[in-house]
Amino acid sequence: MPGAGGAPHDPGVAASVRSVLLRGLDVVPVDVEVDIATGNPAFFLVGLAAGSVKESRERVRSAVRNSGLPWPPQRARMTVNLAPAEVRKDGPGLDLAIAVGICLAQSGGSASPGDAFLGELSLDGAVRHVDGVLVAARGLVRQGVRRLFVPAYDAAEAALVPDLDVVPCSYLREVTDHLLDGAPAPVHEPAQQPAMWEPPMDDLAEVHGQEAARRALEVAAAGGHHLLLSGPPGSGKTMLARCLPGLLPPLSRDEAIDLAQVRSVLGELDPGRPLTGQRPFRAPHHTISMAGLVGGGPSLARPGEISRAHHGVLFLDELAEFDPGTLQALRQPLEEGRVQITRSGGSVAYPACFMLVAATNPCPCGWEGDPVRACRCRPAAVDAYQRALSGPLLDRIDLQVRVSRAPLEALSEEPTGETSPVVRERVERARRRQQERQGHLNSALTRAELRRLTGIRPEARRTLERWSAARGLTARAFQRAWRVARTAADLDGRDQIGEDHVLEALGYRVGDAAAA
Amino acid sequence: MSWRPSATGWAMPRPPEPDDLRARGRWPPPPGPRAAIVGSRRPSPYGEAVAERLASDLAAAGAVVVSGLALGVDAAAHEGALAVGGCTIAVLGTGVDIVYPTSNADLAARILERGGALVSQFPDGTPPQRANFPRRNWAIAALSDVVVVVEAAEGSGALITAEAALALSREVMAVPGSVFSPLSVGCHQLIRDGAGLVQNARDVLAVLGATQEVLDDPLRPPTSLGVAAPGGGRDALLKHLSDVLPIEPGALARKLGLPLPEVLARLTALEMAGEARRSGASYVRLTSRIGRA
Repeated sequence: MPGAGGAPHDPGVAASVRSVLLRGLDVVPVDVEVDIATGNPAFFLVGLAAGSVKESRERVRSAVRNSGLPWPPQRARMTVNLAPAEVRKDGPGLDLAIAVGICLAQSGGSASPGDAFLGELSLDGAVRHVDGVLVAARGLVRQGVRRLFVPAYDAAEAALVPDLDVVPCSYLREVTDHLLDGAPAPVHEPAQQPAMWEPPMDDLAEVHGQEAARRALEVAAAGGHHLLLSGPPGSGKTMLARCLPGLLPPLSRDEAIDLAQVRSVLGELDPGRPLTGQRPFRAPHHTISMAGLVGGGPSLARPGEISRAHHGVLFLDELAEFDPGTLQALRQPLEEGRVQITRSGGSVAYPACFMLVAATNPCPCGWEGDPVRACRCRPAAVDAYQRALSGPLLDRIDLQVRVSRAPLEALSEEPTGETSPVVRERVERARRRQQERQGHLNSALTRAELRRLTGIRPEARRTLERWSAARGLTARAFQRAWRVARTAADLDGRDQIGEDHVLEALGYRVGDAAAA
Repeated sequence: MSWRPSATGWAMPRPPEPDDLRARGRWPPPPGPRAAIVGSRRPSPYGEAVAERLASDLAAAGAVVVSGLALGVDAAAHEGALAVGGCTIAVLGTGVDIVYPTSNADLAARILERGGALVSQFPDGTPPQRANFPRRNWAIAALSDVVVVVEAAEGSGALITAEAALALSREVMAVPGSVFSPLSVGCHQLIRDGAGLVQNARDVLAVLGATQEVLDDPLRPPTSLGVAAPGGGRDALLKHLSDVLPIEPGALARKLGLPLPEVLARLTALEMAGEARRSGASYVRLTSRIGRA
């Protein structure tokens, strides 16, 4: 019975329905206006609609008819306008709003200005999942929307937003029955949130030996410092990196929502469990493209690995194998904690506040500095390899550590090191000290803050200056050592940076050359 | 003249064990070649590590490790053998009922516990006496098929053991060291005089006529440096740095019983003072640089 006639049809009536489009993590509210007039039969969709929105016409027509809802008769001239007209529209999320607008226009009804609609339609009238519902819901609430109709699949995600009634929709018909005939539209009741915290994927207790590297991980976790691990193949660099999320405090609710927004835009959110306290750990392969790493895409950029690692850990193994241009693109995010990407469709910003853990071999063959196996590289090749790693990226990595292979016997022994929760407790204490003192972690201390906020004992300061003069440290390297020393002091529970803290910090560099 | 059971493949003549030998623990020891590992009582970290690893590798290959239960190289050799569940014999310069030095009492107890033996040519109750130790060194040579000297300065007691071994027609071998190190002078002199050079346990096993396949080349440093730390404390750090054997900060911290952050800080301070240098993830001591005071 598609297109069953006889429905009330009053030419000249217009309806307006609210929906939304995403631009990165920002939203553009869209008003879907439908006008049905008598005239040459036509169905216009105007308002700078891109391809996927133009196709909405066909989906909406089938969905409305197959839901047993009236479709304007033969002699109706229908115009759907997507306002504001100057913004390019993309994506299928407006389907539901267009269909609802058409049904309302025919019946002369109207939607409340506090209602908004989001969802793709299938030809049989089912409402399908769309990406970015969490982001859309947050934006709409700011626009005064109080009730949001979303695909049932995405209801849990939308319900994370406070002050918003979320109506899960499985079929178009449910929505129109409610709006036109007053059928009930039950609001989604958020299920009890499961515990946010889960055990980390790898525990430090599984690491054999490697005391110095374990300590470096603890310092990195405590101060939020980026970390470089340099060592031969099989020295457990990946294992060490994987332990880092478990040393960090679990995500706060706000941080978890930040991260969920990125995942929402990507459509990677688990509908059954949109929020998790687990810090992300992302380990892209070195062949990754720049767009894959920092974000990108044809018209409007999508988030990349660095945004997936937001509030977590980005692990770049075999750092020297990455395309240098790709690594260059990390500079802005490393400094600002966000990335701005401009494409033909506009410029978007994504959060990208992550801890970088990079791993590398010390030389092309990998065995430079190994106590047992001899390095086969020409000395010039080793120098060139280490030089290639230096530069702007390395300049932003506060902690640089050499790791060695664990001897085979050690692997069969029961490891005796501390477990991650034990270390995490110290990390959390040190982080609290930093928050109380300066409101952020030590890794973000500026030069002025270092001078003003961080007490340093005179002899410690002298040691730092003496080393710096002797090794020709750059200003950046000088500050790096100071920041790390501050973290070592915080782990120690000291207000003043002591000489030992400075000395320890100066030891976190790779190679014997001044890490300039 | 007694011969080893031919089934083991060892075919070296060894005179009968002296009649007046007193023993505690398992005696006679299991058949198999006996390798003495002797050396300085105050070895460098390198010498200590060589003794421990060499003893482990030899014991793992079925040899009995003989030494004198002294501090330093002797203790490291016993520890190395025990670490792999091997058999080790301590030849004492006192009565078998007296352990000297007393700091090795725990080591002596473990040797007995794990199927080794304490033996002595002196009557029970003999206290440590200066004159007895050179005689003890002869006994070490007499009880062994080969004597390996690991670090001996000029005039070291270990050289007496080597001399005795020559007199008794035992093989003498020596571990080379740094030419800067006074502790290696004695060893280098032995090599110059024709002692076999020991690079790894295979060299020793070859002299014993064993056809054991194993053991990589070069000798691997031991994982634990399991010998008890003499003292500890800050000043001890430099003493535990070797000029030839790179040591990781973690191993140093364990050995000295110091917190790791402190060890890291001390090492950087030594670097600053030009007394230590990094080598990969490890540190070595800088010594005798030309042009340096």
